[in-house]
Formats: sequence, C-alpha cells, structure tokens
Amino acid sequence: MENDLQAIVAQAEASQASISSRSDWDQAKAAILGPKGSLTQASKLIGQLPREEKPAFGQALNQAKKQIESLFVGSLSKIEQQADLAALGVPYDPTLPAVPNRSGSLHPLSATRRKVVSIFRKLGFTVTEATEVETEWFCFDALNTPEDHPARDAQDTLFFSPESKWANVSKKAKEAHLLRTHTSSVQIRTMLREKPPLRVIAPGRCFRRDTVDATHSANFHQIEGLCIDRKVTLLDLKGVLDHFLRETFGNKVQTRLRPSFFPFTEPSFEVDLKAPNLGKLSDKWIEIMGCGLVDPEVLKLVNLDPKEWGGFAFGVGIERITMILHGIDDIRHFYQNDQRFLSQFTGPV
Amino acid sequence: MKISLEWLKEYVDLPADAGELVDVLPMLGLEVEEAEGSDAPSLDHVVVGEVLDKQPHPEADRLSVCQVNVGTEEPANIVCGATNFQVGDRVPVALPGAKLPGGFKIKKSKLRGVPSEGMMCSAKELQLGDDDRGLMILSNSPAIGTPIEEAVSADRILELEITANRGDCLSHIGVAREIAGRYQKNLNIPATQAKAQMVDQADDNCLINEVRLDDDACPYYTLWTIRGVKIGPSPEWMQKRLQAVGLRPINNVVDVTNYVLLETGQPLHAFDAKKIKGPSIIVRNATENESITTLDEVKRTLQPDMLVIADAERPLVVAGVMGSVDAEVDDSTTDLVLESAWFRPGSVRSTARRLGLHSDSSQRFSRDVDPAGVEYAARRAIDLIIQTAGGELAPTYVSIGSTPRGDRTISIEHSFVEQTCGFSVLQDELVEIWKRLGFSVTGKGPWEVTVPSFRSEVERPIDLVEEYLRLRGTDDLTGSQLLFPANDRENDLSYDFCQSAVDHLLGQGYQECCHYSLRSAGEVESWFAHLNTDELALANPLTADHTHIRPSLLPGLTDALAHNQKNLNDLTRVCETGRIFRPGPRGNVEWISVALAAFPQSNDRTWQDEPALDFFALKNQVNALIEATGLSLPKGLWTTIAEDATWQEGYSARLGDAHKNKLEINAGIISLSLSKAKEAKGPILAAEILIDPILLSKRKKPATFSPFSSFPPAIKDLALVVDSSEPAENVRTKVEEIAIGVGKDKFAVDPVQIFDLFSGKGLPEGKKSLALTLRFRAPDRTLGEKELNEAFEGVISVIQEQTGYELRS
Repeated sequence: MENDLQAIVAQAEASQASISSRSDWDQAKAAILGPKGSLTQASKLIGQLPREEKPAFGQALNQAKKQIESLFVGSLSKIEQQADLAALGVPYDPTLPAVPNRSGSLHPLSATRRKVVSIFRKLGFTVTEATEVETEWFCFDALNTPEDHPARDAQDTLFFSPESKWANVSKKAKEAHLLRTHTSSVQIRTMLREKPPLRVIAPGRCFRRDTVDATHSANFHQIEGLCIDRKVTLLDLKGVLDHFLRETFGNKVQTRLRPSFFPFTEPSFEVDLKAPNLGKLSDKWIEIMGCGLVDPEVLKLVNLDPKEWGGFAFGVGIERITMILHGIDDIRHFYQNDQRFLSQFTGPV
Repeated sequence: MKISLEWLKEYVDLPADAGELVDVLPMLGLEVEEAEGSDAPSLDHVVVGEVLDKQPHPEADRLSVCQVNVGTEEPANIVCGATNFQVGDRVPVALPGAKLPGGFKIKKSKLRGVPSEGMMCSAKELQLGDDDRGLMILSNSPAIGTPIEEAVSADRILELEITANRGDCLSHIGVAREIAGRYQKNLNIPATQAKAQMVDQADDNCLINEVRLDDDACPYYTLWTIRGVKIGPSPEWMQKRLQAVGLRPINNVVDVTNYVLLETGQPLHAFDAKKIKGPSIIVRNATENESITTLDEVKRTLQPDMLVIADAERPLVVAGVMGSVDAEVDDSTTDLVLESAWFRPGSVRSTARRLGLHSDSSQRFSRDVDPAGVEYAARRAIDLIIQTAGGELAPTYVSIGSTPRGDRTISIEHSFVEQTCGFSVLQDELVEIWKRLGFSVTGKGPWEVTVPSFRSEVERPIDLVEEYLRLRGTDDLTGSQLLFPANDRENDLSYDFCQSAVDHLLGQGYQECCHYSLRSAGEVESWFAHLNTDELALANPLTADHTHIRPSLLPGLTDALAHNQKNLNDLTRVCETGRIFRPGPRGNVEWISVALAAFPQSNDRTWQDEPALDFFALKNQVNALIEATGLSLPKGLWTTIAEDATWQEGYSARLGDAHKNKLEINAGIISLSLSKAKEAKGPILAAEILIDPILLSKRKKPATFSPFSSFPPAIKDLALVVDSSEPAENVRTKVEEIAIGVGKDKFAVDPVQIFDLFSGKGLPEGKKSLALTLRFRAPDRTLGEKELNEAFEGVISVIQEQTGYELRS
C-alpha cells in the first residue's frame, strides 16, 4: 500500500515538468488531488485495512498529501511569476531618455529673492507687499522727497495721465499715479496699515524711465527692508546687514558703510562689500545696497512719534545680487527667457 | 563734478600721497566716479637729466649724439632724434630698465653704430601731457637725477559724484573744506581786495539806474559795476585749470566767472553794460510767449513762471540757468555789470528741467548755494577781473533783498547721539569732529551747535549725528547681536500664494519666466482689443515698445515660447506670476496673475510618443493649481469665451469674473492669429488666473470637520440626449440639483459625474448623449433597492418635467 503512495508522489513529481500554464496546473492537480485523482482514490482504501494498520497508513497518506500539495504550491507560484513577468513585456534599455524629458525651474531672480527672503525670515522679517502702481505721495512725499527734489525728476519716473483712476490704489490727496521707482513706498503703506514694532521686507518690481541696455532695465526688482522698534541703533542696522551679506556671499565677505544720501534715511549709507569668490569682481569694493536709519520726518508722516519709535531701512537690487553671484554681465538675459540661460541656474543661489 | 588736485592745493594741504583721496573721499560721502591719471604707469628709471654736449650723428642727419648728466659719475651717451633742445636744458631721461607707458622697454643699444644708454623723452611719451613735438623741457630746473614723478607734479583729476544734499561740494573750496576736516588741516580761502559800498538802489556810480526784484523766487540780488576792462585771453594758469576740469577758455572775464563758480560754487553773470537796453535791470517772471536765445544758440520759448533777468526790452538771462547771446561779453566789451545773486532752488530746478537746459549754474542753484557766499564770490571775481582784464570797480554796488537763510543753531544731547549710534561716544571726540567741520559748539550737554549757512541740509540733531559718523567712520564697528523680541507677523498671503503657485507649476514641468511689465501699444491693442486699453497707457513713455502696462502675462509667455522654439531650445511649458493691470468699472485695477502657456508637445523629437497636452489636461492642471494654492474655484459655470481678442473662440473657456468674484480663470488656446504674429508655430495652450489682491488679504479659517457616512453608496447611471450646443456642465449641475432635491432630508448625493459622451449613429442630428452617474448615500444605513429605485425614478420624472433633456433608451 505504502508503495502505491510513493508511486503517486513520484507521479506528482513527474507531472510538474509538463506544467506551463494555469490550466495545465489545474489538470495535473486534479489528476492527483481531485475527487477522481489517484491520491483521493488511494485514500479510500483505508476503509478496507485492518484496524491496527490504519494509523500507519493514515500517517503515510497525510505525509504524501503534504508533499504533493507543496509541489503544487511551488509550481503555481512559478507559473504566476512567469505570467507577471510576461505582462511586463520585453525588458527595456534604461539608458534611453525620459519622455517627455522636461523639467521646470525657478527663474534666477526668483531663486535669489527666495534666498534673501529666507535669510531675513530667520531674523524675524516677514514679507509685506503693495501695488506696483503708486501715487506721488506714497512714492515721494511720504519718503521726505519734496516736489523739487532731483529724485523726483519726471525724466526718471513713469507717470499715468492725471485723469487716470485706480480703484485699488489709494491716494493721499489729488496726486498723480505712477509706477513706483523703488519698493520704499511699501514701507509707507505698511507703517500706515500696521502698528509697530515692525520687521518687514518688501520684495517687488520697480520701474525707471531708462533705456534698456546691459545694465539698465525698464523694470527691475528690489527688496526693501524696514525695522521699526524702540531704541533701534546704527549697530542694529549693521548687525542685520552684515549677517545678510555673510549668508548671501559667504563668510569671507567684508563690508563697509559708506556715507551717502537718501531723503528718507538719516544717516544714510551705501553698503560696499569685498569678497574673494566673485570672479572678476573678487577682492574689490563693490556697491551692493543702500541703507540708513529711518528719517524722523518719515515717521511723522506716517503718524509715528520719533521720540518713541525709531528704525532702520535698506534696499537691495535683486538683479544686482544675482548678477554678482552668478557672474551675469547683461541684465537683459533675465527678461529674454532663453532656456539656455534659465537652465543654468537650477542649483543653489 | 571734476576736481583738479593741483587746484585743490591752493586751499588745503593734500596728504603726501594725494592718490589716497580716491579712497578717502568716498568714505566721506563724496563718491569718486573716475580718477583720471590714477592708473598712470609708473615711471621708474625715468630721471631728470641735463644735456652737457650735443653733436651730430656721424651716420644720420636727423640724429644727434648727446652727453647727458643723469646724476651718475659718468654722463650717459644718448642718441636723440629731437631738435628742440640745447645744451644746458634739463629733460626727462629714461634709463635702461625703464618701461614707458606705451610698453616700450629701454635698454642699452646701438643706433646706426653709436651706442645709446637711454632715451630723452617728450611729454607725450611719458603721458605727462599731449606735447609730442619735441623733448619735454623742464623749465623749472629740477635737481639732476630726481625721479621724474617728483620733478613734474602731474595734475590729477577726480570726477566726483555729489549727492543731492551736498551742493556745497560742487566747488573746489567745498571739497577742500571736507579734506581739511578729515585731515585736520587749515582751510585757506583767498582773501579779497575789492572794496565797494553797499547801496540799496542804483546810484550815479552804477551803469544802470534801477534794479528791481519782481518775484520772490529771487530774494537776494547784488549787482556790481566795473569800468574800463580790456578783453583778452585769460592767463595761462587759469586756462590750464579750467581745461583740466573740462571747460573751454573763452576770454578773461568769462573765464573768471567760470573760475569763481568752480572755486566757490556761486554762479555769477557778467553783462556787457552797453548791450543793456534802457535804464533798468528787472528780475521778473517771463511773459507769455517770450523767447530768448541762450548762449548755446538755441532759441527757447519761456513760460510765465520762469524767472528771467531782463532789461527794459527783453530777457537777458534765464535766471540761474543761462544767459542770452544778447548781452554776452565779447572782444569789444569795456564796461561790465556783474550779477551775484541767490535764486530759489525749486524755481531754478523746475525751469532748467522744463527747458531741458542743465548748466553748471542751474546745477548749483538747484542744490541751494550758500547765500552768505554771494558777496564773497563777487569780490573774488572782481579781484581776478581787475588782475586779468584791468578796469576799475565802481565805489558802490547794489544789494537788494536779504539772504534767505543764515547760520542755524541746533540743540543736541549727548544721550541722543549714543542712543542713535548704539555705542558709547566720547564727548570730546564728538565736539572736536563738529568743530573740524566748521561748526561752532557751546554749552556742555545739551550743546548748542551752530552750523554755517554753507551746510544747508544740516538742520536737526539727527543730521549732526550723521556728520559725526561721517567723519568718525564706521569701519571699526561691530554690528549688534540680533536680539529682537519675537514678532507675530506672517508673510503677506499674496506673496506666499505666488510662491506656492510657482512651486506647483514647476512640479508639472513648467519653467518660470520673467517678462517686462511695459508693453507696446501695438501688442496691447491687438491682444486686448476688447478692453479700453487707453486707460493703461503711460503719460510719458520713453520708448515705443514700452508705452502701456501689461493687462496679462500671456503675451510675454507667448514671446518666450516663440523665442525658444525659434532657437530650437526644448522649452515648451512656461509660467509666470506677477502684477497685471486692467480697466474696470470703478477705475483701473492692479491684480495678481498666475499664467501658464505650453505647446502641446515637445520641440524635440522623442524616441517614444509623448501624449499631447490638450485642453482638458490643461484644465486639470489649473484645477490642481487652484487646489494646491488653497483657493476655491469660483462659483458658477465654465463658460465659453467669445468676443475676447486674446482667446481662440470655440476652444477657450472662463470661470468667474475677477471684477465680481475677485477670482477669474481663463483657459484655452491663444488666438491663432496672435500667436502667429509672434512667430510661434502651432497652437499655444494657455491659462491664466486673475486675482484681486483683496481675496488674499485675509487668512482663511481652518476647516471644521464634518462627519461622513460609513455605509456604502448606491449607484445609478443615467443617459440623457441633449442639444449638441448644450454645455455638458449645465446638464451635470442640473441633474445634480435635481438629485439633491429629491434626496433632501433622506440621503445625500455625491457630486454627479459625466462618464461618457456620445454623438453620431443612432442619435438625431444636432444631439449628443451624456452618461451620468449618481451616487446616493445615507448617513445611517445601506440604501435598500426599493428606496433607491424610488429616488431614481423621482429624479427621472423631475428631469422630464423641468428640462428638455430626453432619457436615452
């Protein structure tokens, strides 16, 4: 009897080789384990055995059944694997390019802006915004720049006609609308809208009535910074700007404050920097930004008491920083949007 | 302005190495734009030599052989081609080892067989002047063997950029005063000799009978009379100085007025007395249509609020700006009337600006000249006129009005200085610095600081702090640690929105771009013919391609696609965020926009087919963008865009209206004729989101959780036959509304979805079939078959009652 069982196991083993599909497998399995299968038939013989032989036969039967089932589990998993693989198709050449082979990147001016914003964000400065269309009061008068001041020359400012109406750009009185010449006007809107202490930066687009060439652009971008608090000093300004310039241009940067003039700060300075890693501009003083302590007249114009509040402000050109950092020699590249230019600045700023 | 260092030495001792001023002046706030001669090549091995002997060259007619004493024991034997010198002359000699400015190296050599141990040089060869006609003869007999750089003090010219507040530095004395303050040197202001008595109206001594001030733009006017001058060239030293700073010498009188302007900063005007018609000099406003031919020989029409100096008949000078050819001093002039006055800065500035006439004079008056310097400048000029042109000053001069401002006294506390600076300030150092600047200080905190009238802009305590810092310097200061209290402010949402929009689009393969906000009239008018584009025009555009502000980012993005396509760059998806401008019912508005534009497929050929971007994929991108940036789609339906020049009708749609909903989305295909006009090949798929910034001015509240059913939905499908022209979205919303109505109070309805669209065979002409799926859910149970069928039949019967849609059988 036990020999019969061994023959059935041998039969099952032999049948595995011819299984190449699920139906083969079903058939082969039924021939042994099915209702009419050889093992099923053999198990029926147990009834005819004497009582004392039954346990030994039962044991042998179970063992044979386990062996056979395990064979069929193995062969099933093998044909399933083959079927899954077949579904994947022919193996491919992974060195072929991606389709579409396309990636988008930030515009280099955005990348610089984000970096600067992030540096100041860590110092507690948050972004404030205002409109690009401004009025003479917000762009000049409120910044202590009187009507006959050279900075207000119509030669340099783009105006709208006196009749033009702007629904979402408020005026102080009846002054004309214009395109802002600097982001300093955002200081004014912010100080009028929010209460000090304030620590804000205002990245944004500005306009000058300039002929476009390698260093001039009809529009360009600045980042204005403003800190209003009690007892703000020159050293606070220097501390913030030195930190910003180190983070932007590296630890080896040297800076200096060079006396200058802006109507809305007193004292006023140009900030120069010198660094060893700036290509052609390495190791010489280059002008990078303007700054100063907020002029008391400006505070009065936005209804802050200069005896209680003081502050500092600064402004830096995004194009300028980007050009220095990457060695770009023509500002027009930023506005031409040639892929061969844009794709060069996908790395760190 | 140009400053001559040689000239400057007349007023102050310059540092031993005057070149250091190039670095020192900027740190005082006087930016050096360029320094002429500053990069002059070094003239090592070029010394003073004396010609001891000169013999003809045995082999060459044009050469001579000289013995030259160059300070060594043996004289040098030098062959020379020049002829303008004699034995005994001292000349520059370049010895072997010298390198001339042109790069020419001097070494011992033989010229036509005669050894030559150096070269005698012309001024041009050493870049010490323009003269190349012969050797540079050193007439002042410098010591033999002295390096040439010491023997010849070459002048150096600095071009200074003077900020708007420092009109006082538009003069040599002004700059000298800064240097004197910085180096703690004395300032030597030339003394004057001219003596005349002041009278408040013209008397017999004057060449005119009356001086009248008719307008307060001139509060102070003086007029001086000089008889018997002889016009001729000015002396060489004066010509040299004027030329050095870029002025052309004209004649002695004109040169003196220019010289004094550059010396003191006070513009003067000399009239030829005999050319003044009638008895009066009148300072008045121009009359309507009055004109004047200024010295640059341009006839200019004046406006009634422009100030002129006139005689009885005509204007002779645009006050503070430029004189006319009519009263010009010329060779025949013998008697002079010299004006020295103070004009209001704003008046001069505005006149100069409107006439487009910016002169040395207007530049200074518009930056507020020192009223206290008016008389000094006149006396100084008279001294120089008498010295160079002879003549005699009349014993009286007319002075009308009074100086508009004088010295001012500012009270300042020591604590204010320290609070502003943030570091401790020694009282003595502070007072000393103010004194070095010419201020006088009394008291012991608070101090009374008196600032002379030449510093018009130093008015307040903070200005005194600035002056202190300017002279003290800031290089040694260490910035403070950034110990600010926390600040609860967040970025303005408008900023974060644009940033997250770009981030999202980058992930979809869009390249961020940046285009000019200023566009041409032609572009704006063709792309936005449906808008009143005149409203977006600038009043004073500079160039024809920058006349309007942009109503959309799409023309720029179309440029970018076309440009890259033309250059065979594989850039076919571009995006941009920025401000755009539109006319609106209550005036123009400035909105925020996010725009994207794409060619359906890559510019490059690919080894595998790329699925083309189509309108519906684009729509999906826009929906995802709205979702990702935290906005909600505007309520209402996508509607097809018509009568809009930008978009191709039949292929474009709009959702919302930014004027009404503060949010608007346009998507579709850019008008084929517009993209073609920009030379883009193939259709451009584009979308733009327009946002009224007010929508982003308030932070949204966090969402509140609402519970949802845990039971499975029951699903029913429905096919409707509708007119082909009926927008699918209309059908979908209508069915959804009806289903919600039917289920009211019993169960909820999920958003109805369109899952099939069919037209053609089996359907009547002009009809299409839409298949929709409805999902009902009850919060508390699984819906039973009966309940579901009742609801579904309810929906069908309402559709049949209320709409023209037919059930497809």
